[in-house]
Amino acid sequence: MSSDPVSELMPLVYDELRRIAASYVRGERPGQTIQATALVNEAFVRLAGERARHFNSRTHFLAIAALSMRQILVQRARARNAIKRGGGPQRVTLDDANAANVDAAFRPAEHEPGDIDVLALDEALSRLAALDADLAKVVELRYFGGLTVEEVADVMGTSPATVKRQWAMARAWLKRSLEHGGP
Amino acid sequence: MTPQQWQRLKNVFQEALDQPAHARRDWIAAHCADDVTVLREAEALLATHETAGTFLEEPARVDPSDLETLLPGTMIGSYKVLDEIGRGGMGVVYRAEDTRLGRLVALKSLPSTLAMHPDLRQRLRREARAAATISHPSVAVVYALEEMGDHLFIASEYVRGETLREEIARGPIAPERARAIATEIAGALAAAHDAGVIHRDLKPENVLIKPDGGVKVVDFGIAQIEGPEATRLTRAGSMLGTPAYMAPEQLLGQTVDGRADIYAWGIVLSEMLTGRHPLQGRGDKSNVHLTGPFATVIARCLHADPAARYADAKELLAELGSGMGSEIGTGQGTGMITDPDSVRNRFWWEFHEAVTAVVYSVMIVPAWYARGQIGSWQGRAFFIALVATAVVTVTARLHLWFTSRFYPGELEWVHRQSSRWIRGGDWLFAATLVIGGILIGDEHSPLAIILPGVAVGAVAAFLLIEPVTTRDAFKRSGITT
Repeated sequence: MSSDPVSELMPLVYDELRRIAASYVRGERPGQTIQATALVNEAFVRLAGERARHFNSRTHFLAIAALSMRQILVQRARARNAIKRGGGPQRVTLDDANAANVDAAFRPAEHEPGDIDVLALDEALSRLAALDADLAKVVELRYFGGLTVEEVADVMGTSPATVKRQWAMARAWLKRSLEHGGP
Repeated sequence: MTPQQWQRLKNVFQEALDQPAHARRDWIAAHCADDVTVLREAEALLATHETAGTFLEEPARVDPSDLETLLPGTMIGSYKVLDEIGRGGMGVVYRAEDTRLGRLVALKSLPSTLAMHPDLRQRLRREARAAATISHPSVAVVYALEEMGDHLFIASEYVRGETLREEIARGPIAPERARAIATEIAGALAAAHDAGVIHRDLKPENVLIKPDGGVKVVDFGIAQIEGPEATRLTRAGSMLGTPAYMAPEQLLGQTVDGRADIYAWGIVLSEMLTGRHPLQGRGDKSNVHLTGPFATVIARCLHADPAARYADAKELLAELGSGMGSEIGTGQGTGMITDPDSVRNRFWWEFHEAVTAVVYSVMIVPAWYARGQIGSWQGRAFFIALVATAVVTVTARLHLWFTSRFYPGELEWVHRQSSRWIRGGDWLFAATLVIGGILIGDEHSPLAIILPGVAVGAVAAFLLIEPVTTRDAFKRSGITT
C-alpha cells in the first residue's frame, strides 16, 4: 500500500483522460475545445468498469480527475508560453506600474477573448490554498474538474450550501487577485 | 493578514452574502468596524463579487490535443520524460533521459492517428531506419523508433540551443553568417539525400543553432510522413500562420525528391538574410530586395519547376563554395546584398546583346533588296528564312537584356534556358546570309559582298566577343556558357 493513494491513482486517471482526448482528436477538427466536465465524466464511465475497485467512490475519482486536469492545463499553458516566448521579443505596455499586470502582459493572450489565463489562475489558486486550502479545493473541483455544487459537497464532505458560500468567496478573491495582483 | 483575520473575513463575507443584496454593505460595516484590514478587504471582495458575472462559472475548456501531453517524470519504456520542448502538427517533442544509457534524448511523440495506420507505421519504420543511417555533423542523429502499444516515439540526439526561427526573429542575419549556416544545412541535405532521405519539412524551426554556433538539422524524413495534409492542419500551439516552405510540387501532393528540400533551403536562406519570408508581402515597399550573388542562387532554388532548380544539394554546395563565397563579404551586413561589381560587369554583355539585336534587325532591309535580286521562290525563301532567324535571336536577346535590367534575380535561369536557342538562331542567321550572297550570283552587286561580310562579322561576334562578355557578366555565380 502506498502512503499516498492519490499519486498512485493519478497515472490511471491521467492515462484515461489522454486516451479519451486522443479519440476526440481523431474525430474532431484539431483546435476545437471541449469542456472539462465532458472529459472527466467520460473518463469515469470508462474507468468505472474493470478498474472501479481502485477508487473508494466516484467522488474520490472526481477529485483526482480535477487535479489531473489542472496539472494538464497548466503544463500545456507553460509549454505554449515557452514556445511563444522563444518566438521573439513581445511588446509590453508599462502604463500600469503594477507588477502583476506587467507579468500578465508577458503572457500571450489565449485563443478567445474572455478566456482565463490558466497560469495566472493557477498561481492565484496556489496563493489562495496557502490562506485556505478548502476554498482552493472547491475552485479546483468546480473549474478544472467541471464538478457540480452537489458533487463538490460530496467530495468535500460538506453541504451544498457551504460549497456555494465557499465558491462565492473564492471566486471574488481570485477575480480580485487576478485583476490587482493582490492581496 | 493573520489566520485569525482571514477566518473573520471569511465569516463576515459569507454571512453578508446571506443578507439581502442592499443590506450587505451595512452588514459588513457593522460587523468588523474595529478591524480596518478586514473591513477594507470584505468591502472589496463584496464589490468584486457583485461584478464577477460569469467569472469561472463555466468549467475549463481543453483542447483535446493538449491532453496528449506527457507529464514530467512519466516513463516511456526506458525513457524518462523531463519536459516538453516543442510541439507541432506532427506531435510533441520532449526532452527525456534514456535511463539505460544515461544520456539525454529528444523524444518525439507522434500522433496516435499515425500509429493506428499500419501503412503509415510501416513507412515510418522505413524512414526512421533510413534517417538513422545519415551521418553528418549537422544532422541530429536518429537513435530509435520506439513502438509502445498505440504510441510511437522517435528518439533522437538532444541538441541544446535555440532554433533558427528564434535567431531570425531578432532580425536579419549577417550575410557571412547566413552563408555559413546555409552551407551547413546544404551539407546536411547532401548527406541525407545520399542516404536516400528527403527532409520534406525544412524550415527555421527545424534548424537548431548550438551554443557554439554549430548547426543541427532535425526531423529528417519523419516530419511529413503523413503528407502535406498533416502540416496544413497545424494543431493549436504550433506556430500559427507559418509561411509555407513547401515546394509547389509538394503542395500539390505530387512525388517529391531532394529538389523540394532545395526549394525550402532557398526560402530559409532568403529569410535569414532579410528577416522575412520571401513570399510574404510581395509588392510591399518595405520588402527587402535581394540583389547580387545570393539573389541568383535563391531565385534558382525557388523555381516552380524542380528541373530549373539546382539538381541536388551537392550542386548547391559547389555554388556556395565557388565564386559566390568570396563576394559575400562585400555585403553591408544589413541583409541587403549589393554587389556593384556585377552591375558594371554586366554592362558590356548587355551592350553586346542590344547591339547584336539592332544589327540583326537592320539586316532585314538589305535582305529585302537581295530578295528582289535573287527573284523567284528562292528570293522569297531566303527572305523568310532571314526574317525568321532574326526574329528568334533578336527577341531572345531583348528578353535577356530586359531581364538583366529589371529582373536580375531571374537572369541566370533565363540565360540558361535561352542560350541554346540564341546560338542555334545565330548559326542559321549567318548561314542564311551566306546562302543569300551566293544566290544573288551577280558579283557586282554590293549586296553579294555585304551579306556574307555581315555573316562573318556575326559569327565572329558570337563566337569570340559574346563568350567574353558573358563570362564577365556571369562569373560571380560560377556559371559559364
